[in-house]
Amino acid sequence: MMDRIWFLLPELIMLTGAVVCAVSGLSRDVGVRRALPGIAIITLILAYAASGFVYEMPSDEASVGDAAAVFPWLARMMIPIASVVGVVLVLVQSGFVDRSYEDAVAAGRLQFDPLRSNRGEFWSFFLLSLGGLMLTSSASDLIWLFLALELTSLPTYVMVAIGRKDRVAQEAAMKYFFLGAMAAAILLLGFGLLYGATGTMNFAEMRDVLSARAGETGSIGSLATIGLLMSVLGVAYKLAAAPMHLYAADVYDGAAAPVTAFLGFVPKAAGAVGLMLLLSITGWTESGGSLPPAVLVTLWVIAVMTMTLGNIGALLQDRVKRMLGYSSISHSGYILIGIIAGPGAGYSAVLIYLLAYGLGNTATFAVLASLRSGGQELERVDDLAGLRERHPGLAWAMAISAGSLLGFPPLFGFWGKLLLFIAGVASGHLLIVIIAGINSAISAWYYLRLVALPLTGQGEGAGVTVERSSSVGPRYAAILTCVALILGPLLLMPMLDEADHAITQTTSVSEE
Amino acid sequence: MMQSIFAIQKSGIGVPAVPMEEVVIAADLSWAGLILLLPLISLVLCGVCAAMRVKSKAPAMITAAALAGSFVTSVALYLNYVPPGDVIPLLDWMNLSWGESRFDAFSANFALYIDSLSLLWIMFVTGLGTLITIYASEYMEPDLGKGYARFFAGVSVFLFAMGCLVLSDNLLMLYLGWEGVGFASYWLIGYYYQRPSAVAAAKKAFIVNRIGDLGLALAVYLIWVTFGTVQYDELMSVLQANDWRPEFEGWSVTAIPFLLMLAAFGKSAQLPLYVWLPDAMEGPTPVSALIHAATMVTAGIYLVARTYPLFLMEPVSLQVVAWVGGLTALLAATIGMAQFDIKRIMAYSTVSQLGYMFLGLGVLTTYGAAYHVFTHAFFKAVLFLTCGAIMHGFAGQLDLRKLSGLRHMKGWRITAWTMLIGCLCLAGFPFTSGYFSKDAILAEAFVTQGPGFEILGWIAIVTAGLTAYYTFRVWFRVCAGPVAFEPGDELHDGDAHHGEFHPHAPRFAINGVLLVIAIGALLAAVPYFLDNQADEHLAGGWIADMVHDSTAREGLPAGHGDVDGAHHATILGMDPHAAMYYISGVVGLIGLSFAAWLHLWRRSDADALSRWMRQRIWIGWLPRAMERKWYVDEIYHGVVRAPLWILGHMCHAFDRFIIDGLLVDGTARLPRTLARWLQPLQSGVVQSIALAMAGGVAIILLAMALFMQFDWPGGAH
Repeated sequence: MMDRIWFLLPELIMLTGAVVCAVSGLSRDVGVRRALPGIAIITLILAYAASGFVYEMPSDEASVGDAAAVFPWLARMMIPIASVVGVVLVLVQSGFVDRSYEDAVAAGRLQFDPLRSNRGEFWSFFLLSLGGLMLTSSASDLIWLFLALELTSLPTYVMVAIGRKDRVAQEAAMKYFFLGAMAAAILLLGFGLLYGATGTMNFAEMRDVLSARAGETGSIGSLATIGLLMSVLGVAYKLAAAPMHLYAADVYDGAAAPVTAFLGFVPKAAGAVGLMLLLSITGWTESGGSLPPAVLVTLWVIAVMTMTLGNIGALLQDRVKRMLGYSSISHSGYILIGIIAGPGAGYSAVLIYLLAYGLGNTATFAVLASLRSGGQELERVDDLAGLRERHPGLAWAMAISAGSLLGFPPLFGFWGKLLLFIAGVASGHLLIVIIAGINSAISAWYYLRLVALPLTGQGEGAGVTVERSSSVGPRYAAILTCVALILGPLLLMPMLDEADHAITQTTSVSEE
Repeated sequence: MMQSIFAIQKSGIGVPAVPMEEVVIAADLSWAGLILLLPLISLVLCGVCAAMRVKSKAPAMITAAALAGSFVTSVALYLNYVPPGDVIPLLDWMNLSWGESRFDAFSANFALYIDSLSLLWIMFVTGLGTLITIYASEYMEPDLGKGYARFFAGVSVFLFAMGCLVLSDNLLMLYLGWEGVGFASYWLIGYYYQRPSAVAAAKKAFIVNRIGDLGLALAVYLIWVTFGTVQYDELMSVLQANDWRPEFEGWSVTAIPFLLMLAAFGKSAQLPLYVWLPDAMEGPTPVSALIHAATMVTAGIYLVARTYPLFLMEPVSLQVVAWVGGLTALLAATIGMAQFDIKRIMAYSTVSQLGYMFLGLGVLTTYGAAYHVFTHAFFKAVLFLTCGAIMHGFAGQLDLRKLSGLRHMKGWRITAWTMLIGCLCLAGFPFTSGYFSKDAILAEAFVTQGPGFEILGWIAIVTAGLTAYYTFRVWFRVCAGPVAFEPGDELHDGDAHHGEFHPHAPRFAINGVLLVIAIGALLAAVPYFLDNQADEHLAGGWIADMVHDSTAREGLPAGHGDVDGAHHATILGMDPHAAMYYISGVVGLIGLSFAAWLHLWRRSDADALSRWMRQRIWIGWLPRAMERKWYVDEIYHGVVRAPLWILGHMCHAFDRFIIDGLLVDGTARLPRTLARWLQPLQSGVVQSIALAMAGGVAIILLAMALFMQFDWPGGAH
């Protein structure tokens, strides 16, 4: 049995990178400050490489991964996903924090003042949040899970606040923080009840206790069920799933587009992984067991409400970020189908879907981040009309990414959704798949607007001139992700194998 | 040879194969693929020209060269042709198999089926295609640098698709070509897309053809389920071995010929689907000549000839074909008599002549039909091309009342005389090609026994008289008589000098092509006299020879010797074949003389006659109805289009008010309404969001707690 600290090498690298960023951001040298995204990318690449190194290195024992974790190989999958999407996110975020301040400094109008610079801390928080996501996947007990989830979320509150220098962003950050705190409280309350019901914090032990109890009395007990329900609802906040989704539209709209791209992926991925871990304590594995009916019904209702409310909300929106915000809520609903489908095909579909959705979502925001009108971000969907005439690459990127999010074959998003739906049908939850299909059809209404307007619309943006933003990062991000969305399906089978491996649970009890 | 390749293919799907020793290795004929490849190449090059905005005649040259290459390849293929033909595999496409049985497999590959019938067709298609492309290089001049490349790209697409249709060795590839020529036709009819009437005509052609295509698609499917194959050679051997299974309680065999017929009637403009062809004249004239007179519209005849054995299995189907053909011939001829637009007259004449060809197929003379296709391709191409030359020179003028005396005008003599040749052939003037080919059909209508075939024969003879009349009505009006003309409304730069209109006479390319095709139209009579090699008892010479090796051989006239004298009907006491030489000659001359009287010598009489007829109530409806095309468009409008229109608007209203209004907008409005009720919670104030979230959590927990009370502890977990 390997020391667990060994498996935390990637997270430690992330931490180191975060510290380096925080310090270098204070440098008076513009070159160093400009290099921050580069440092972030290097950190992510190193973390990626370290995950391979840590998990694949042959040892004297059979390589069983992080045997103490619920899914010993889950981090092997999640760290690469987080790194890949993370690199793209770095590109999207590059050069937008403190842009006006840095411009003023460059023009000599202002003296550089480390106390006023936010860039270093932004990148530091960025890496910490991604590190939190990586940590979530190897959680083995409630404390670890809670800390990892909060490590994912807390930096994002700050990122929302410093991403944009206006009242809207500050207000969004405050809302996000307070509501996040409330959700954390609900989560903790649920954890407390779970601890009370089982007498342990360790997932493996909780699973043993609850399985034994279910074997004797036929259920895991009402206290554990209520605790699990509260935990699920607490995690639902990270996923932006109903009824904990109400913050999402306001926050996503208030934050700067690059930060919204981050919010749309990182906390959600952490939430989905956290949900898988939490549900494992009921003894529900690929080989057997089932969820307590109350939890199943709750998840089912949450999934249906989430996708439906998200889509209907998006239907009405004219503001593009708000629309994408609502649509990302609906994607959480689809992800929940995979959770309901359960360990095995369902979970691996969730992992693939996370990657597909993360890339597609990031690409749409990358396009938004590369465009400005009158020095501001694009506000309305109609501002995208006729984009192809002047920025054909970005228009196509928007069309491809929206098509992928819609699930248009042969783009990556289609395969992700297909796997989810197949898993749902295979696990006997046909009705929810049908509801999801109807929801997909509804989502076509607004996604196709995003496809058609940039490509075919007349440039009738009501006097709005759309120009490219000065930073090239988002453009590269948009194009890279679109290439990935097109070519990604070619790697689908190896990825699916990897995902299957990642969600294989240990059968042995870990504390030996 | 064909048989042996068939054996190789079949051995793959579990049917006993011919021993390998018997397999003759055929000469490698894969160069025949050039027939299809060259038009494709020219399509690409025309696209390149369009992209590079080439302003020269390069697209026309490229296309003409490519089509000439196709023609030469076809002729070379004919010279290398060894009966009974061959299958030349080009590309694998579909080879599916999911069981042992023949019916558990599906094969359709890109392979050329070379027998005499397909060779006959491909030779005149590519030959006329080349000539008409050369003609078009001059005709389309005003569009140089604008739509020029687009036009020739369309012609290339058409020839590729037509090649697929004619040469395919299976019904699926034929279907591909069938759709392809329909698409090319749509493309080229709508060539002048700025003109609403051209767009409407293109849509009409496409939509009407869709109806026929549906028939073909269903027929292909039924043939596959019934016979287990869509490849001609397998199909024929299955039929010979009687090794098929009737599907759908046996009616599939009955339905197949009727569905094929529907397809053929759509593509070849027969009742009731002919209405698109006259409107298709909105396209440039070379297109009308090539696609809507000489080649594409004969695809229906080709299809029936190709699948003739299937028609023979259901005798009623051929009787229907005969009657539809005969009635179409008569109807279209009467409409043609009363039109004033010479191109439209030619269009109705095409419909009428196609009717003759179907009549020929129906009365068991595939030879007559094929021969008439062959001669018609030439003389109708000449007629259209001369119409095109006139239209080109007189700024779009096509009204025969506003043109006269063309043959006396400088530079127009070739046009006038080649038109005369075309008219003579079309009218069936004795010893022209049209005379022989039409007689072959007319006589057989009296020979073959069938319900009312004798009446049909007389209808066809009357139609022949009408044909002669309307044909020469055009020629006498336009080419003969005193010189007089008015320009049309499509004046180009340089047409009008000092406010006076000068027609510009056709130049070398148009005149040269007119001469070549006119000579071809005359020479088309020659095959009738050539000896045939296959069977000495066969009448009809070279064409019969060409039909003999094909699937259509059942419809060949047997040697009319003393053996079959017993069942031979007679007409006016003579053998029909002999009698027809006199009858059709006389009828044609009568029609011609009427035309000469009314439109050459005493043109005022024509107007007087028309006025006289129109004033009489008992007869006045006739010219009106003929001029208004028997109100068929109006009837379709009322019977087909109006109900569809009403249905469409009902669906639209349903969509708009129920789906959009109630469901979509309603669904969309619901959250808004809810939001208004819950305004305090939706204000975006953090406390209200927190309250809503906490409320949601509380409701869920409460509901689940209650749920557990009912569920507890009986539920299995």
